[in-house]
Amino acid sequence: MTLARNIEAAPPDQRGGSPGRAWPGLLRRREVLVLAAIVLIIAASTAAHPYFWSSGNLAFIFADSVVIMFLALGESFVMLGRGIDLSVGSIMGLSAIIVGFRIQNHGMTLLPAVILGAAIGVVLGLGNAILVGVVRLPPIIATLGTLSVYSGLEFVVTNGNQVDTIPDSFTDLGSHTVLPGVPVILLITLPFVLVAAAVLRHTVFGRSIYAAGDDAEAAYRAGLPVRRVLFMTYLISGLFAGLAGIAFLIYTSGASSTTGINDNLTAIAAAIIGGTALTGGRGGAFGAFVGSVFLTVTLTAMSYAHIADVWQPAGVGVLVLLAVFSDTRSRQGGTGRRPGQRRYRRRQGPENLEVVKA
Amino acid sequence: MAGAARQGDRSGGALVPDKRGHYAALGITKSFAGAAVLRDVSVHFQPGEIHALVGENGAGKSTLLKVMAGTYSLDAGTLVLDGDTLPTLTPREAQRRGIYLVPQEPRLMPDLSVAENLYLGALPTRRFGTVAWRSMNDTTEGLISSVGLRVDPRALAGRLSLAQQQLLECARALSHGCGIIFFDEPTSPLTAHDAEKLFTLMDQMRARGLTLAFISHRLDEVDAISDRITVLRDGVVVAREERGTLTREQLVNAMIGRQLTVTRRAGHALPDGAVMLEVNGISSPPEVNGMSVHVRAGEIVGLAGLVGSGRTEFAETLFGIRAPAAGTIRVDGRDITGCSPRRCIDSGLVYLAEDRGRSGIFPDVDIARNATSAIVGRLPRLARIFIQPRKEQELARTAVQRMDVRAGSIAALMKTLSGGNQQKALLARWMLAEPRVAIFDEPTRGVDVGAKESIYEIIESLAEDGLAALVISSELEELVRLCDRVYVVYEGSIVGELAGADVTLTALGQLAVGAS
Repeated sequence: MTLARNIEAAPPDQRGGSPGRAWPGLLRRREVLVLAAIVLIIAASTAAHPYFWSSGNLAFIFADSVVIMFLALGESFVMLGRGIDLSVGSIMGLSAIIVGFRIQNHGMTLLPAVILGAAIGVVLGLGNAILVGVVRLPPIIATLGTLSVYSGLEFVVTNGNQVDTIPDSFTDLGSHTVLPGVPVILLITLPFVLVAAAVLRHTVFGRSIYAAGDDAEAAYRAGLPVRRVLFMTYLISGLFAGLAGIAFLIYTSGASSTTGINDNLTAIAAAIIGGTALTGGRGGAFGAFVGSVFLTVTLTAMSYAHIADVWQPAGVGVLVLLAVFSDTRSRQGGTGRRPGQRRYRRRQGPENLEVVKA
Repeated sequence: MAGAARQGDRSGGALVPDKRGHYAALGITKSFAGAAVLRDVSVHFQPGEIHALVGENGAGKSTLLKVMAGTYSLDAGTLVLDGDTLPTLTPREAQRRGIYLVPQEPRLMPDLSVAENLYLGALPTRRFGTVAWRSMNDTTEGLISSVGLRVDPRALAGRLSLAQQQLLECARALSHGCGIIFFDEPTSPLTAHDAEKLFTLMDQMRARGLTLAFISHRLDEVDAISDRITVLRDGVVVAREERGTLTREQLVNAMIGRQLTVTRRAGHALPDGAVMLEVNGISSPPEVNGMSVHVRAGEIVGLAGLVGSGRTEFAETLFGIRAPAAGTIRVDGRDITGCSPRRCIDSGLVYLAEDRGRSGIFPDVDIARNATSAIVGRLPRLARIFIQPRKEQELARTAVQRMDVRAGSIAALMKTLSGGNQQKALLARWMLAEPRVAIFDEPTRGVDVGAKESIYEIIESLAEDGLAALVISSELEELVRLCDRVYVVYEGSIVGELAGADVTLTALGQLAVGAS
């Protein structure tokens, strides 16, 4: 037998996929590119408006990004499994409203509020999980439906009222800073990012998400519990959206019947900008982190540059298109294929039909 | 050798004006991402001839045909059709000029009918632009029967077998009036019987003066049908001969550039280990109808039969992908009938799937994680939660080395590997699961000669270590080369069993087509 020949010929760890080994690989990573862009934007804005680089403004930006960060973290789990959750903003809104009323009218304290918010998120996420994982609706249809239901429920629950008096014990978390420019709430969020990253990268569950997102049929044949894994991703997405509701109360000190209505796509945008692929299997928690910071920094910089707020949604859209464009370009790079060279894959897979670039 | 060949080509390349269908590529160079796939390659296809392109995987055969059919653009060189230098070629332009490439995997629309696929892009219409269904179906009937395809024109193309889909592709080429037809590895998914049918068709086309070229890994068929052979290695033409002037051995040596002695399995003695896989009357209608097989530890057992005879469906039923309607499956005495793939793997049964692209690899994941994906739940973990990357990579590296995967690093993405290396990486995945029984479904499909031999060696060494191996293959030579015992499947039932010296090409071939 002439086995074991060539694998050791090359150094074993020139990887593109793991942090901190080889510099060229590191520089090619999306997270690093986005971080560099954030630094550039902050530098340019500070040059034009010195106040941009002030503890107060930076704290404001970070507190703002925490809301999106929670949404994007949950969304990443779903997107890595090749799904999509369009309802996260509405889940966040319902969580913010219900918990907000408890705080405003019944004096609920922080810890019970967080637990209640998380529970609401899990219950609403369970709706999505059942529709996608058990009833087996296509994710985009299922969560479009729950988006309608949940945002409709926001009107039912508010019943014409709104949350507008959140005590300082909550809002201080968003305005008080531990270090210049770093609000307390960002410090509270970081462990969540780290845990999410560890779960995705280093647990059987996380690895199963990537495999199921990359090729559901192959994952099933490798003995991975594909449906259970996908089911769980929607629960997690709901959980994070419920927590985002609490972050929203802390940051804005209020909530109304339209809370979160625009944040569904913003969350997906943050994940995509951070390098998570809509086609599943690629991306991660740090991408969601830098993606949401990038979005808020850019939007704040836009208002500093005297661009009216009404342009913000359009701005987000352009950023997403740019991110997707650069992603497809870098993935196509140099394969010499022409458009039209697509391949139908997974015709028999447990998930629906998808056209992907071969 | 290449220089002499090119000279010969020029002198013989004087284009005969009265006969159309002379198609030549001169000095073609093509690179992908900086890596040269073709370097100064010249070939000349002539009307009334079948031209075979042979070479190992990655030699550039497919790329050459794709360049000549307009699928890829070329970096340097010219394409000359009947004396005219062609401008930049697109697939559409190539078809307009009568050049058609039958791709390796037929690209049909699975949810459209046979007739619609045939007329795709040029549906016949009546007044007011409505589709002329009836006349289209009628003409389709004639066209497809001329290539030996007998199906309902209204049947969905996705329902056709691979062999039928290829015939439909041929009909499409003929219906477009194409006189130059390329086949990219047409026979690799076909059984010997279907391949024979395809060759009969190609023979007829040749008699009508069409220009034909095909790629093949099977030297028998190259010998049998081609008029001219061009051998490519690493993007360069290394030999170019008329049929019969090169011996089989010279051809193989030219392909792989080194001596390859054809080894036959030494023993073929029937081992008397314990029965590891015992299947009794398993059914999953309509494809599988009461099949019983058993495999002993250390035994390599083959499953021969035509494509569509139910071999893959049988394997999928064992592995829990399809539900069995009747029968029992035992692995090492344990009943696993109707268990999920997860339970099968844990009970010691693994299944290397036939279609590695669609139900095997994770293309965007690195080799190491591809290798450990079936045992991810058994990996060493910190605090029983967090997988330890070092130990995982150690495991993966050992397995991948044992299977002789040629890769720069186990951190390379799976999609960057060649077909043969992907297959070996999948072997590594399944062997990490420490199976007692392994089903290898077409283990060498789309794999080059050298890699084929090393896959055989791997399977043999695993059997020596006590694995019970069940090999499904459409290549009868492969079964003769590898197996101690062979079952022959016909229409979902076992119709024969051969052992030891009785395992011969002719015996297998006859049983497989249903002749006893």
